[in-house]
Amino acid sequence: MDAKDYHKVAQADALPQGKTLCVELAGREILLCHTSEGVFAVDNLCSHAAARLCEGRLKGHRILCPLHGAAFDVRDGSVLTRPASVALVTYSVRVDEEGIAILLQQSGGAACHKSP
Amino acid sequence: MTQDNTLSPGQARAPGPSVADTLNADRQPPPSPLLKSQYDFLGDEDIPFERYTCSEFFQKEMQLLWPKAWQWACREEHVPDVGDTYVYDIGPYSIIIVRSSSEKIDAFLNSCTHRGTRILAAEGSGYSPAFTCPFHGWSWELDGAIRNIPGRWDFPHVSEESHALQKVNCECWGGFIFINMDPHAKPLADYLDVLPEHFQHFPLERRRIKLHVQKTLPANWKAAQEAFMEAYHNFETHDSPNGGNTQYDIFGKYVSRFIHNIGNYSPESLADYHGEKFRKPPMTEDELLAFLGVYGLDSGTVPEGETARALVAQELRKYFGKLLGVDFAQVSECLMLDSIEYHLFPNMFFFPGINIPMAYRFRPNGEDVDSSIFDLLILEPLAEGVGHPEPPDPVVLDVDQSYTEVEGISWLGPVYDEDTGNLAMQTKGFKTSRKHGLTLGNYQEARIRRVHLTLKEFLSHENSLD
Repeated sequence: MDAKDYHKVAQADALPQGKTLCVELAGREILLCHTSEGVFAVDNLCSHAAARLCEGRLKGHRILCPLHGAAFDVRDGSVLTRPASVALVTYSVRVDEEGIAILLQQSGGAACHKSP
Repeated sequence: MTQDNTLSPGQARAPGPSVADTLNADRQPPPSPLLKSQYDFLGDEDIPFERYTCSEFFQKEMQLLWPKAWQWACREEHVPDVGDTYVYDIGPYSIIIVRSSSEKIDAFLNSCTHRGTRILAAEGSGYSPAFTCPFHGWSWELDGAIRNIPGRWDFPHVSEESHALQKVNCECWGGFIFINMDPHAKPLADYLDVLPEHFQHFPLERRRIKLHVQKTLPANWKAAQEAFMEAYHNFETHDSPNGGNTQYDIFGKYVSRFIHNIGNYSPESLADYHGEKFRKPPMTEDELLAFLGVYGLDSGTVPEGETARALVAQELRKYFGKLLGVDFAQVSECLMLDSIEYHLFPNMFFFPGINIPMAYRFRPNGEDVDSSIFDLLILEPLAEGVGHPEPPDPVVLDVDQSYTEVEGISWLGPVYDEDTGNLAMQTKGFKTSRKHGLTLGNYQEARIRRVHLTLKEFLSHENSLD
């Protein structure tokens, strides 16, 4: 992947370990999550009811939705706890001296529009 | 070996030196509670196997024990900030623990007051700035008060008094958060008995969870915990010389204890055990030192006039002092080395030791009479002034997995595999036996009997639990 495909979204020191940062890129809200294994990026909207995950809490590798308590693994977007059933979209992240950059080519998860 | 028939039941003890003899000979005297002993003969009738295998008995426990007993749900460091939650499941019940304000922790039944749906789905730590039911969106504040009812016009019969979240008693001790679902429960202090007095010498609130392992075991919760309530099994199960002269204490209806020494042992206590191992000849101090190499310490030669026990305790003081930034210079050999295990009815264990620093909890696995969940915490002392770090998520092991798969469990991995390795066979044996029940030693297995006596009171609706 060419370096130019990555988009710088934040300074590295803007995101201490254990914290999250919501950034906007190409009209999408993306949540950066700094865990003990590095920085990961997922869609900021919960795949269940579109609550903003930046208002939730990062615990270890889990991002917790503030609305119904759904949990996702930020490393791969997978659902850990109901009521969510669809994985979060994840993005490749690169951290270097220039800062935190995201590859705007989503992987995993899916946009989700549901009806019963 | 012949029996001394002049003794009353329960008066007999293993031959040779006692635990108290060892503690009194140690260089650093232990805190006074560890020098106490308290035992009364509690009977010698068999315990019916059906208590472990019968669905009706299990259901009775679900109705009369678990909804009425104090039990630790999580640690305070699981909910450090306002909105932090922890869901604790026991049988069919589920409880939400929440830091509702900086000064307060609350607990509620995890059930919507509209149509009963669980509000939070999974056991473990989470975060909710408010509670919202995923079914119809009813919501509550962190203190359980109604926040919003969509389509409120249709519920004129619903009020704060009738439809706030259902409160559960919640109290803290030793850094643990306890819950009791019974609105009429007596305070936790009534159940803790000697624990606050004893543990003021070794405060568990000043420990952090280094490791949390949660394993499914193939046995009823009582059989599972009873594998840990005596050291009588050490010789056969662990091929260990320690345990034959263990001290057992019963402190009232809810609390019991054992202490068994590490770093020395009593060859006399093994006098009628099979074979001659550890006995003819007894282990030398050098052999004992090598035996303790499992702790990662260098073996070698015990100098003249020195003992392996004192030497290893000193090495551990240095090792843990450096590792944890805690001064153990004045800490007794007993606390540094020994297996000191307190049990709190019905299913909780607390170890004040430094090298053996665990807490256990055994509970039914959902509504299965034949399996249980064993939570094992390694609780490491915190240096002065250091706050609690975020606790690790549990390492979850299925029934067939080995403790040796757990990173960082070190020498304890094979030990827990041995402890839990008998359980499937025991469960099968319960169902094969022509005997009515299991037989217990009067002294060494008295803690097991104490639990069954108190359990019987709970299940009999007796009101003599004061």
